[in-house]
Amino acid sequence: MRTLRSELSKLASLPFVWIAFAAGFIVPVGISVLTSLTSTPGENTGFSELAIGVVGAIVLGVAAIGSEYTTEGEESASGRQITTTLTATTSRTRLLIAKIVAVVIATAFLAVLAIAAVFATVSLLVEDGAAPPLDADTLGRMGGALVYWVLMALLGFGLTVLTRNGIIPMAVLVANSSAVTVTYLLAQSIPAANYLPDLAGMRMFTTVETGVHMAPLTGGFVMAAWVVALLVTATAVFSRRDV
Amino acid sequence: MLTFNELSKRRGAQDILTDISFQAKPGRVTGFLGPNGAGKSSTLRILLGLDSATSGTALVDGRDFRTLRDPLRKVGAVLDGSGAHRSRTGRAHLRWVARAAGIGNQRVEELLETVGISEAAGKRVSTYSLGMGRRLGLAAALLADPEALVLDEPVNGLDPEGIRWIRLFLRDQAKQGRTVLLSSHLMGELSETVDDVVIIRKGRIVANGTLEEITGGHPNLESAFFALTDEVSR
Repeated sequence: MRTLRSELSKLASLPFVWIAFAAGFIVPVGISVLTSLTSTPGENTGFSELAIGVVGAIVLGVAAIGSEYTTEGEESASGRQITTTLTATTSRTRLLIAKIVAVVIATAFLAVLAIAAVFATVSLLVEDGAAPPLDADTLGRMGGALVYWVLMALLGFGLTVLTRNGIIPMAVLVANSSAVTVTYLLAQSIPAANYLPDLAGMRMFTTVETGVHMAPLTGGFVMAAWVVALLVTATAVFSRRDV
Repeated sequence: MLTFNELSKRRGAQDILTDISFQAKPGRVTGFLGPNGAGKSSTLRILLGLDSATSGTALVDGRDFRTLRDPLRKVGAVLDGSGAHRSRTGRAHLRWVARAAGIGNQRVEELLETVGISEAAGKRVSTYSLGMGRRLGLAAALLADPEALVLDEPVNGLDPEGIRWIRLFLRDQAKQGRTVLLSSHLMGELSETVDDVVIIRKGRIVANGTLEEITGGHPNLESAFFALTDEVSR
């Protein structure tokens, strides 16, 4: 519990995490304002916005471990926080588990805020009756979006444990979720690409037009399997290597 | 008590450390001296469980550091720089370290006072001078009132005032009964601070004894150091 409290305290005092929080909130809400005012609501109203807003969750997951390896600057180029972290908590497995739990808590909190704000925006701005009803189906998809955000944050986290530098995982995952959806383009020609973590996970809350059908629950399990495999690998590597 | 016993480290085909054996004792300041790249940092990193040894042991009171349940109460360490993320404030850095050891925020304020950076506690670490960063690192190391202090190049890059402060501070820590182990490649700065001297060169210990034993027959520690390290190279 001490280690978890320490990790939560680290997240809360890192300015970059607040930027991630702001991005995860402002991006989907901002887009939902635009789409609510300009396009006709459909079955994915609100949910497509959340598929892009996940960048906030990714940045949060990457920053949680990437910040440990940031060097201090020119005067003491090799000084990094990870040395302090590992002299305060000697069990690397316990440390990584505490970090994962901290990321899950922070991302789930962010996702709940973002989902509530996006659907509040949509119901305020679109014409009466055109907003998606708050029925069991919609609530289930909201839960799916929350799980998707948490798993994407953990995907970024796990990759960054392996690279020890947040830039590449962040660039790849953020670009793939917003600008150029490489995995989506791949899935157009290679059916197996549908089982990549982000595309599979998206089935939990939105429809993906790739010609391959996958149930939301199946998609969630496929994505979770990827994330678990990645985190197990990351923990094994982290526990064995020299810092 | 910090005990190194036949510690060796190979990286690829290169021997980084070979049969390193020495002790750092309570109530004494042990100077771990050697030129840059001699293996000082590698030795300390293995002691702290950051890197692993190829063979041999480095123990804290007879135990491997990575098996300690409450490491901050056993060893306080300052390696490169401050060990803090640059965008956090000094106070926030100490607070998360305190959480990890189950220590309250009151102690954080005490330590900020002890090392003399209270006024800068609310500023980001990126705005700190090298000396202030070093003091922040020391504050983190001392949070849980550890039995031993391990410092890698504590005076490197500091101005004369900063060097004097560290020197007096470390003497005081040893007087309180702590084990103090510090590495340095600066001989002159340390002769007034250390009780015991261990000299390392190219990953091997070339001298190990009290300050008097090592400097015996030489005008001062610096000439003893160069005599010892040059001897081996010829």
